[in-house]
Amino acid sequence: MTSTATSSILSFSGHQYLRHRLVLSILSAKTVKIDKIRSDDKNPGLRDYEVSLLRLLERVTNGTVIEISVTGTAILLKPGIIAGGAVTHECPLSRSIGYFLEPLIMLAPFAKKPLNLTLKGITTDDQDLSADLIRTVTLPHLQLFGISEGLELRIRKRGSPPLGGGEVQFLCPIVKQAKTLNFVEPGKIKRIRGIAHAVRISPQFSNRMIEASRSVLNRYIPDIYLYSDVYKGEDSGKSPGYALSLLAESTTGAIHCAEATSKPGTAPEDIALLASRALLVEVRRGGCVDRQHQTVVLMMMVLGSEDVGKCRMGEPTPRTIQFLRDVRDTFGTSFKIVPADSSSPGTVELIYSCYGTGYVNANRSLA
Amino acid sequence: LSYQQHSKRAQRKDWIKLIYSSSLTPEQILSEDPSNDVVDSAKPTDDDFFTIKSEAAIGNEDHDDDRSKPTLNEEDFKEWEEEELLDSIRGLFITGSSNE
Repeated sequence: MTSTATSSILSFSGHQYLRHRLVLSILSAKTVKIDKIRSDDKNPGLRDYEVSLLRLLERVTNGTVIEISVTGTAILLKPGIIAGGAVTHECPLSRSIGYFLEPLIMLAPFAKKPLNLTLKGITTDDQDLSADLIRTVTLPHLQLFGISEGLELRIRKRGSPPLGGGEVQFLCPIVKQAKTLNFVEPGKIKRIRGIAHAVRISPQFSNRMIEASRSVLNRYIPDIYLYSDVYKGEDSGKSPGYALSLLAESTTGAIHCAEATSKPGTAPEDIALLASRALLVEVRRGGCVDRQHQTVVLMMMVLGSEDVGKCRMGEPTPRTIQFLRDVRDTFGTSFKIVPADSSSPGTVELIYSCYGTGYVNANRSLA
Repeated sequence: LSYQQHSKRAQRKDWIKLIYSSSLTPEQILSEDPSNDVVDSAKPTDDDFFTIKSEAAIGNEDHDDDRSKPTLNEEDFKEWEEEELLDSIRGLFITGSSNE
């Protein structure tokens, strides 16, 4: 579980938290060894999507050496440089493209060349951030750190589980350094936006979701725009499905998001209510960053310039807690986490602060 | 009410200590009372020759594997059918007055 503090080799055990551990290894240029990967499982070792992620990392970098043990229960990754450039990757249908994009988003700004990544597969599922949320919520979080010019995610084709058939293009600029964050004012929610989509199924489903969502959200603010995103023919993938992705934006630019996706035997109205209520839960948790975006924000804070970065967020998720531990083992950076003087007594709001490592993109080719 | 009680307890947590100087798992740290969970985790006694793997270790196929979205369980959101709860967060929106 733990590793020797800031030694040149990172050692971890278990299959959990694989993605952020690989990201930490590549960013810090430290070799990572991970063992006991589902060694007690009846089906031991890496899953196909984990192997696929390793292959993707190999292609986005230059000179990375990856060794996988015969049983697949141990890996060794010696990171090369983050190369960037044009890469196309077919994601397995066991995980959506969000699984692959989330770690790539933390690496791409520090590449040698701007990344132009095409990912094919499932664009929305119930496990990872959908292409819609990454486009409308995750990317604006990168802008907080000065990563903005030319940052884009295009959803070319949608792909629902189980057969996918979707395609996205991720364009990410490179930066020399991440800006120091100071984001402690959550503000008040001023608008709600949403994207409803229904593919290979009656487009009426989108409208039914929008109507049901409004029945919950209309009471709060008038500035609500829920958009029905239509994809036709080939562009709508290979399987039927629908989903509602919602975001609430505050006066200070804090964004909270939630999403619900179609399940067999569930009406679109119920999916919409689920998404809407999940959004209210995120809003109630307060802070400037929602649960799904804690790690990407904390990662960029660690990489920020040599100054104190601050961010107000809710209680850490289990993944965030492990991420904080792994960050300390990798970069030697610990966060100070203290209660924020919260205006509403019912919520836990904390101020996370750290001293940036002054990470400089050494891969960047000088023009 | 239970949410508020939970929050008060959570507010009192020494996060820095729990995260950086304890060997509690992330789930234990987030549980209501972390001190309770420590006891039964790995407390070896001399006559324990065989250790029984927990259900989770043997593996429900890829349950909760490095996923970034919370699982949405309809039951957990039942409380949002109550007008009272819906009204309680009005103050977080620009249209709501701050003392609500």
